[in-house]
Amino acid sequence: MIIEIAWKNVWRNKVRSLIVIAAMTIGVFAGVFSIAVMNSSVVQRIDSAVNEELSHIQINNKDFRSSNDINDFIPDLDTLFEKILTTEGVEDATGRIIVQAMASTARKSTGVMLVGIDPEKERHIFTLGEKVIPGTGGFFQGETKYNTAYIGEKLAKELNIVRYMMDDEAFNKMSESDIPQEVILKLEQFRGVRFVSEKKLKAELRNVLSHKEFRQYSGQVFSSAWSYREGSRIVFTFVDCEGNQTGATFRITGIFRTNNDMFETSSVFVPYDELCSLTGIEPGNYHRIIARLTDNDITDRVTREVRAALPSLEVLNWKEISPDLAMLADFMQQIYALFMIIILAALAFGIVNTMLMAVLERTREIGMLAAIGMNRKKIFAMIMTESVFLSVIGGISGMIVGMVIIAVTSRNGINLVNYSEGMEAIGYSVNLFPVIDPLFFTITACLIILTGIISSVYPARKALKLNPVEALRGEK
Amino acid sequence: MNVLEINEVYKTYHDTEVAVTAVNGVTLSFERGEFAAVVGPSGSGKTTLLNLIGGLDQPTDGEIIVAGHRLSELRPSELIDFRMEHVGFVFQSYNLIPVLTASENIGFIMNLQHWPADKRKKRTDELLHSVGLADRGNSRPSQLSGGQQQRVAVARALATRPEFILADEPTANLDSKSTDTLLDIMEKLNRDEEMTFIFSTHDSRVVRRARRIITLEDGRVVSDERR
Repeated sequence: MIIEIAWKNVWRNKVRSLIVIAAMTIGVFAGVFSIAVMNSSVVQRIDSAVNEELSHIQINNKDFRSSNDINDFIPDLDTLFEKILTTEGVEDATGRIIVQAMASTARKSTGVMLVGIDPEKERHIFTLGEKVIPGTGGFFQGETKYNTAYIGEKLAKELNIVRYMMDDEAFNKMSESDIPQEVILKLEQFRGVRFVSEKKLKAELRNVLSHKEFRQYSGQVFSSAWSYREGSRIVFTFVDCEGNQTGATFRITGIFRTNNDMFETSSVFVPYDELCSLTGIEPGNYHRIIARLTDNDITDRVTREVRAALPSLEVLNWKEISPDLAMLADFMQQIYALFMIIILAALAFGIVNTMLMAVLERTREIGMLAAIGMNRKKIFAMIMTESVFLSVIGGISGMIVGMVIIAVTSRNGINLVNYSEGMEAIGYSVNLFPVIDPLFFTITACLIILTGIISSVYPARKALKLNPVEALRGEK
Repeated sequence: MNVLEINEVYKTYHDTEVAVTAVNGVTLSFERGEFAAVVGPSGSGKTTLLNLIGGLDQPTDGEIIVAGHRLSELRPSELIDFRMEHVGFVFQSYNLIPVLTASENIGFIMNLQHWPADKRKKRTDELLHSVGLADRGNSRPSQLSGGQQQRVAVARALATRPEFILADEPTANLDSKSTDTLLDIMEKLNRDEEMTFIFSTHDSRVVRRARRIITLEDGRVVSDERR
């Protein structure tokens, strides 16, 4: 009976209840969606760091990271692999050799880290192979008599291997894309021009396109004009095992694109065998073992176990290798909590306000209920139930709207191309795919109901304090 | 047998600068089945007396005994239960629950007392029929006229067969036709169910029908006539 009356009371003043519910819906949706967007950038950054750059766990000789000594190999590899692979939660592991080198082309040179990998093994463990830019080759596919290297787009640009050609092919690609004809006409003045960097093309585009046109179409112009000469070569020079300066020419097997400019600039992947033969490293030696886990959430536990099993080696997980990333993840958790507190506080004030109005409007009625024998407990329960209904309807509908919008945007992504330079420089994707943990929804739903209950206490107590005689006279 | 005894009851309000004695040494007793009107000018203490009898307010002094219960000895929560079980209220402005239908309003106190659904429905139908609203059970208060709403309020007050019905100016907002209909119904219920009715009223039409008239002035009983 209490539930039935409370439900009917909610709809007594439909307009007011709907306004309150709408306000709650918008508030909860805005909070949930903002958190999903923020969460997506962090989740994507961590995913790419783990899947493309760091892996879950790295094992080195204790001094290797500081010395980068080419002869500082991990000993007793057979036992080590056995120990790692038999640790619960480890999916797979592989070895790498790492050599500091100088990369040079005819135009430029820069320092890089040559990473000797087993392409087959890496393909199964990491997703870096999937990051190849179409048209630039592949991730060590097919046999070749040349040394081959898989490099990042940023390095390719820095070494002037990638250029931007506004040639006929580029204009054909633009015509086939959804760039409007009037925008293409504005770009006609650049037909035949070669830009040596994205920065220069971007500067020219900003001069001829409106802000909106630039925001909408610059990405497509870049990809249409992006030009790479297949089979381009880079010379790497490095120090071999004997301490002699040596070097070799590598053909580019493919160019990868991640969201991390620094990683793209500094890491060059080459086949393990090739690097061994060029540096004189005895095959079977590794500088680093990287292990992939079945779940990111077990990283800390597995790290402890592997560390205990390999006390003489340095065992680090991605959080320790990149503490800024780990700190960001923790910090974001606190931001989410703060967001939720703000949303729930707003929700609580909305409910208190509405229910106080409802109690004051119904003073006489509540007095009558007390007069005819409805006890304090039932009056209290009735007001609380009304508040809970309001908060549950508003909260749940906000979450449903949030889920739908998150589902749509997580499929299509949110493009933040305007901030691409800054975001990619620090390893964040400009395409955000909002994502939220289902557990978050459950916790939020519980918190909303709890907020409804807590915030109804004051109006309900106010109702209890009404003196039936005065209330019936409409005095209080 | 007396269903209600009021012995030397006083009620003084100290809310204002000057203390106001609304009920001043009233002693009365009521038997089962009485149809009594408490009359008097405004401020004579009629409503206060009814509030004291109904356990809505506490006397400053004196004793009220209803069906063996000394009201002064009951705790607030026991007073609420007492009102639910022993007193039926009819208010001047009907005071029905606007979100419930006429049937639900009548069944409300039975519901509070956890009557089984079938028994509750039977009694509701019976009362709706008695107050001439058998076909309006599903109407909300806003769909009923003032007279009809007051009839529903009377039916609600009678539903659990309390010791007596306290009606504070029940006809004040009704036209003559509705007043006559309501009084006919209350007289019939008083007769058929042996229910004790105590009204406070200014309405001469109610006074004409009452079988006992208690006149108050300045909180004192100045006359108590039985017809």
